[in-house]
Amino acid sequence: MSVLKIENVSYVYGPKTPFEVTALKDVNIQINENRITGIIGHTGSGKSTLVQMFNGLIRPTSGRILLDGEDIWEKPKEIGKVRFRVGLVMQYPEYQLFEETVRKDIAYGPSNMGLDEAQIQERVLRAIEFVGLEKSMLDKSPFDLSGGQKRRAAIAGVMAMEPEILVLDEPAAGLDPAGRSSIFKGIVRYAKERGASVIIVSHSMEDMARYCDDLIVMNNGELFMAGDKNEIFSKGEELKSIGLDVPQITEFVLELEKYGIYLGRDIYTVEAAYNALLKLFGGDIV
Amino acid sequence: MNIALGQYYPSKSVMHRLDPRMKFILAIVYIVAGFVCKNVLSFALLLVSTLLLIIISRIPIKTVLGSIKAILFIMIFTAIINIFLSTGEGDPLFEWRFIKIYESGLYNAGFIVIRIFAMIIGASIFLTYTTTPIQLTDAIERLFSPLKVLRVPVHEFAMMMTIALRFIPTIVEETEKIMAAQKARGANFSEGSVFKRIKALIPIIIPLFVSAFRRAGDLATAMTCRCYRGGKGRTRMTVLKLKVRDFAALALMVAFVAGIVVINIVNIGYTMN
Repeated sequence: MSVLKIENVSYVYGPKTPFEVTALKDVNIQINENRITGIIGHTGSGKSTLVQMFNGLIRPTSGRILLDGEDIWEKPKEIGKVRFRVGLVMQYPEYQLFEETVRKDIAYGPSNMGLDEAQIQERVLRAIEFVGLEKSMLDKSPFDLSGGQKRRAAIAGVMAMEPEILVLDEPAAGLDPAGRSSIFKGIVRYAKERGASVIIVSHSMEDMARYCDDLIVMNNGELFMAGDKNEIFSKGEELKSIGLDVPQITEFVLELEKYGIYLGRDIYTVEAAYNALLKLFGGDIV
Repeated sequence: MNIALGQYYPSKSVMHRLDPRMKFILAIVYIVAGFVCKNVLSFALLLVSTLLLIIISRIPIKTVLGSIKAILFIMIFTAIINIFLSTGEGDPLFEWRFIKIYESGLYNAGFIVIRIFAMIIGASIFLTYTTTPIQLTDAIERLFSPLKVLRVPVHEFAMMMTIALRFIPTIVEETEKIMAAQKARGANFSEGSVFKRIKALIPIIIPLFVSAFRRAGDLATAMTCRCYRGGKGRTRMTVLKLKVRDFAALALMVAFVAGIVVINIVNIGYTMN
């Protein structure tokens, strides 16, 4: 499967104008294959700019984006092909729905790839299965769906292109907890079943801790930390220094430690804490 | 996407501080003055006055000339038409087959160029460079408020203009986002036949309309929540008041127009017919 590598990438908005802003400064990142990578950072830390570079929507001012070792900007005319290999779901993707039916809308991406009708339909069905949309929704107008369903349809629209690397910018923003977890579970299933790498941008440490393998922390347009999530969350103090946090449950477990109750240093979810507590008191692990 | 809209140039010049209503009137008078000019001296005066306006308003000459670019083609085109199509008295300066160029043609071309230049620059200095769009709609609302007697909804029109201006950048931003999202799904806006390219715009236009209507609905709700009920009985945060400088500006403008009229009567140099 494909490897994405970011080499010395910088990006400046509005160069040589009074409104010049440096969005990214000399960023080096390697996205590991078959992993779910989370990108965290504050608003304006350059996360969204970064993910739009992965599929060539934004061209870096300097530096290279390597997909399987090849610079994606080598042949600017063929940048379209990169966009089928690296699928990007932008923030609030439900605002891009435009077709008469959900089926047609999800089929927009695959049909731009030049696939035949049978293949397209197959992919549409696979995609809605990942995001958990009912088959009966397919022939409705996307504008008649609820907010959460629209979001799912929009994510399915990118999943149907079956990219090797799926990038999602805040896929669960503004959804209720049930909606959040169902969307994230669908994304994880996509990664597993298609053998794809997934990159998720999010503000929620809880979601990141639960679903990601690796983490990339951005701060003021620079790479702050990158690595395995255990490694990153063990540096809670450093995260706090840039105004980020470890998951609440982790903080709770660390607080317990001060009272002599040691549950472990790698606890990021409520379930893990629950199991550790049970173990401590000699109960059965659920 | 780079759209220069409402090219307000922030500064604290006298021009910026003039009452927007007065500037609106001055702009109209200045445009009329441009049409009144008839001979060499009056056009020279017009050109000098435009340069003076630029200096007084403290806008970099580069910025001003940049805005001329958009109409440069029209200026050149009208100039050429005038050079070749004017027929004057006396012998042509230049003759080749059917092409005849008269002295009057050259004069007329020069006059037209100065006129377009002065009117565009003058109007933009009064109305866009030194006046914010909000000030301008405010001025228009008040200048036209007598029409309320005739049941013209002046306030509502001004509010619509304000909202429209306010949302232009928002909609531009929205368009960029939607374009990026559709590009991510393989949309291609720059290749293929004209028909194909037009068809490629559908995935942008439909979401854009949907979001514009959604925004309109949201805004209407928000305005209702803040008890907006139209112009009746509405008070203002900034109450415009004419000051001495406004009358001084008006006096100067009147003197300028009077000067041009006098020059036209005295008739110095070549006169346009």
